[in-house]
Amino acid sequence: MNELSTLTSYLSFKLGDETFAANVSKVLNILEMTKITKVPKAPEYMKGVINLRGTVLPLVDTRIKFGLTPTEFTANTCILVLDIQIENDTLQVGALVDAVQEVLEIEPYQILPPPNIGSKFHSQFIVGMYKATEEQFIMILDMDKVFSTEELLEVHESSQGTQ
Amino acid sequence: MDQFKQKAIEEAYELIADLEASLLVLEDNSDDKNHISKVFRIMHTLKGNSAMFGFDYIAEYTHHIESIYDLVRNDKLKLNKDIFDLTLSSVDHLNLLLEDVNLAEEANKTRHTAKLGELMNFVKKINALIESGVTFIDLDAGKVTQESAPTPTVAAKEVESPKAPEPPIVEDKIEEAIVEEVKEKQFTFLVTINPHKELLQLGTNPVFLFDDLAELGHAETYAEIITDTIDFTTLNPTECHVIWRVFVATTQGIDAIKDVFIFVESDCDLDIKQISEDNVFERKDYVNDINKILGISETKSFLDLQYTFETIVKPTVKETKPTKASKPTVEEPKQEVSVPVVAEVKLEKTSTAAKDAAATSIRVPSERLDTLMNLVSELVTTQARLSMFAETSDNTEVTAIAENVQKLTRQLRDIAFNICLVPIQNLLTRFQRLVRDLSAELKKDVELYIEGSETELDKSMIENLSDPIMHILRNSLDHGIELPEVREKLGKPKKAAIHIRAYYSGANVIIQITDDGAGIDLEKVRNKAISKGLVSADTNLSKKDIIDLLFLPGFSTAEKITGVSGRGVGMDVVRRKIMDIRGEVDVDSKQGVGTSISIRLPLTLSIIDGLLVEIDAVSYIIPLSVVDKCYAVEHTKIETAYNNIIVLDGEQIPFYYMREEFNCQSTTPLTEQIIIVRFEEHRIGIVIDTIIGEYQAVLKPLGKMYKKQDIISGASILGDGTIALVLDSNKIIKRFSQHEMAI
Repeated sequence: MNELSTLTSYLSFKLGDETFAANVSKVLNILEMTKITKVPKAPEYMKGVINLRGTVLPLVDTRIKFGLTPTEFTANTCILVLDIQIENDTLQVGALVDAVQEVLEIEPYQILPPPNIGSKFHSQFIVGMYKATEEQFIMILDMDKVFSTEELLEVHESSQGTQ
Repeated sequence: MDQFKQKAIEEAYELIADLEASLLVLEDNSDDKNHISKVFRIMHTLKGNSAMFGFDYIAEYTHHIESIYDLVRNDKLKLNKDIFDLTLSSVDHLNLLLEDVNLAEEANKTRHTAKLGELMNFVKKINALIESGVTFIDLDAGKVTQESAPTPTVAAKEVESPKAPEPPIVEDKIEEAIVEEVKEKQFTFLVTINPHKELLQLGTNPVFLFDDLAELGHAETYAEIITDTIDFTTLNPTECHVIWRVFVATTQGIDAIKDVFIFVESDCDLDIKQISEDNVFERKDYVNDINKILGISETKSFLDLQYTFETIVKPTVKETKPTKASKPTVEEPKQEVSVPVVAEVKLEKTSTAAKDAAATSIRVPSERLDTLMNLVSELVTTQARLSMFAETSDNTEVTAIAENVQKLTRQLRDIAFNICLVPIQNLLTRFQRLVRDLSAELKKDVELYIEGSETELDKSMIENLSDPIMHILRNSLDHGIELPEVREKLGKPKKAAIHIRAYYSGANVIIQITDDGAGIDLEKVRNKAISKGLVSADTNLSKKDIIDLLFLPGFSTAEKITGVSGRGVGMDVVRRKIMDIRGEVDVDSKQGVGTSISIRLPLTLSIIDGLLVEIDAVSYIIPLSVVDKCYAVEHTKIETAYNNIIVLDGEQIPFYYMREEFNCQSTTPLTEQIIIVRFEEHRIGIVIDTIIGEYQAVLKPLGKMYKKQDIISGASILGDGTIALVLDSNKIIKRFSQHEMAI
């Protein structure tokens, strides 16, 4: 494995009220909102494509993917450009998020195993939980798995179950 | 050095491919002189190149094959099946040798020893026959002709060029024997070398050429300065202003002399004439004769020269062959020239023509072509921005420049494309061999016919087509084509035929592989699919549905697993591979009559001319190659059209309303545009909002995430940075017509 994958830095971002985090090795770029070209006849969570410096980048509405209402564009809405590993291919995907928070240093021992509650909980997409404050847990996501599946994820309900 | 070696190996592979093609032609017509010579030449070149780069094993091996073909070429040996099989298996062996030039692997070494032994045995056998005084060997006939020349007519024999085998390596017994046989016969040639001015600048040292000539026998060189064209005030000392005339007395033929000049052929005008059928130098007063010839001015024709010599010396002198530099003369000898010799002269001419053509093309690594294409793509995108900017600016000069840039870019793009196009021939000839070997293995009698091999395709596509076509052919040979006995019973010709046809159709290239075998047994396929659990037994399947089953992963109807097909990786791989290069596969089959598989491929992969249109404020591009006509229609007409058919110019045209198909919510414009596109043989309308204009679209893939959106074949970035989606009209029509049928 390369050096990047062992990084202990995580980027946290918000989807609705929930905070999630992704390993920074997966995040290539954070973009502001730009013009989206809708692709007809595509699944709803596939928001369209954007022009990323001359290449065509598919854009996923992460909120829809996670079973939330479609993203409403605000000044804070951002696009994370992610490097996703599917089987043996690497591909780039843009992911719409409501807001980007901060970069956290999380040591492996600080990552708690994902809770086993809630029948709808897709624990295979979650690397673990990080206790940021006494009240707040951050879900660390396995971005490869999240974006390599075509189905919608029901993280929302399951995260409610953890509270 | 390694890089040169790599090039030499690449070239060797190409030569071997040519070799294979020639051999297969020869197999049908073993008397084709043209191809016999070609095989010989290829072996000769291979030998030379390999020796130069130290591939000694290849050099040694090719040397022996060359010897055999030299005999064949000189009508001393008849080509038969044994020789063919030997040569074909040698081709395989040469491929192996190229992979492991130094025979580092022990297994390869043993194989090489065995192969070489086999070849040597054969050479020895022929050698022995030649030593016993045989002049023409026909291994098939079982008898050998003693001392009777194989030449068909006496006349032909008379003028036949005195060709002795020329390979300069004389260690080999065969050659020694032949050389001895003709030792007494010497010929004198006059070689006139009129070098181009640049000869010396190209690094050629003519002295070595004279040395080589001298090695052939006895040679004397005379130099003549071309004084009339020299202006000493401006003379460039690195240019060559000398004509050399070399008299060569040798036992070897004209080909041996030509071989000396093989590397400088394109840098000088060469004229080789036989002036006497003996060794002029053995005459006492030869100096006078030579002086007389040299005294003849350049303007005098060869006939004069010939005449001079004939009067000086009694032996008859004949024109052997006109080379490209020879003057338009030769009236008399022509009457004597009988057909076989004419054919030979032609043959030589075409070979020099081919060499000339080779000199004007260069080899370029394919990465450079890829880089070129990428740069052109970027240029096209940038040019689009410039055009956009020019349109909005009031500066007329900028507009003019932008227009010019657009024109140039378009030309540049077209040329860059053409560079990347390769005739499909290179790909298809490979299969000749495959079919030959496989049909022999399966004891089936099959002939492969190839049509349209000049059809050109993007080189990256050609690379990706090899496996799928090979697979289709294997399937056809293994499952499709029946055994000869079965075919006879069915009243079919014993010899089965597989046709590969390649042709252009609109913006596509179609490669059709048709066999006259058993066809697809639909019932068998259906049962197989049911037993594999791919479909349930009560499903009602149309013929098309059943054929589609073949493309399911893991489907293989082969009863037993053979080495040929039936490994379970089947048509699904074929379809996937073809889809990777944006192609489609169609299968049609009639049981008992045969199967036809069509591969439809887009002409280009990266840049297309398109029509930029807008639907619901989103830009789309329709490839211009499919667009027939555009009409403006009022929305009400579209709305009221019954069954999506509209009458335009007195013609009923079915159409698809894109706003509806794409579920657009916004209000429709009052006037819409209908674009008529060609789909197979039909004309079909696509209704869109507005036409923006023509656009050169650099296709970018939409990526895996949008793989299922097959109606969009890619995206292109417009001048203002927004993205336009490229519509695949064929897929649109297919998809929406299915959709309608489903309703």
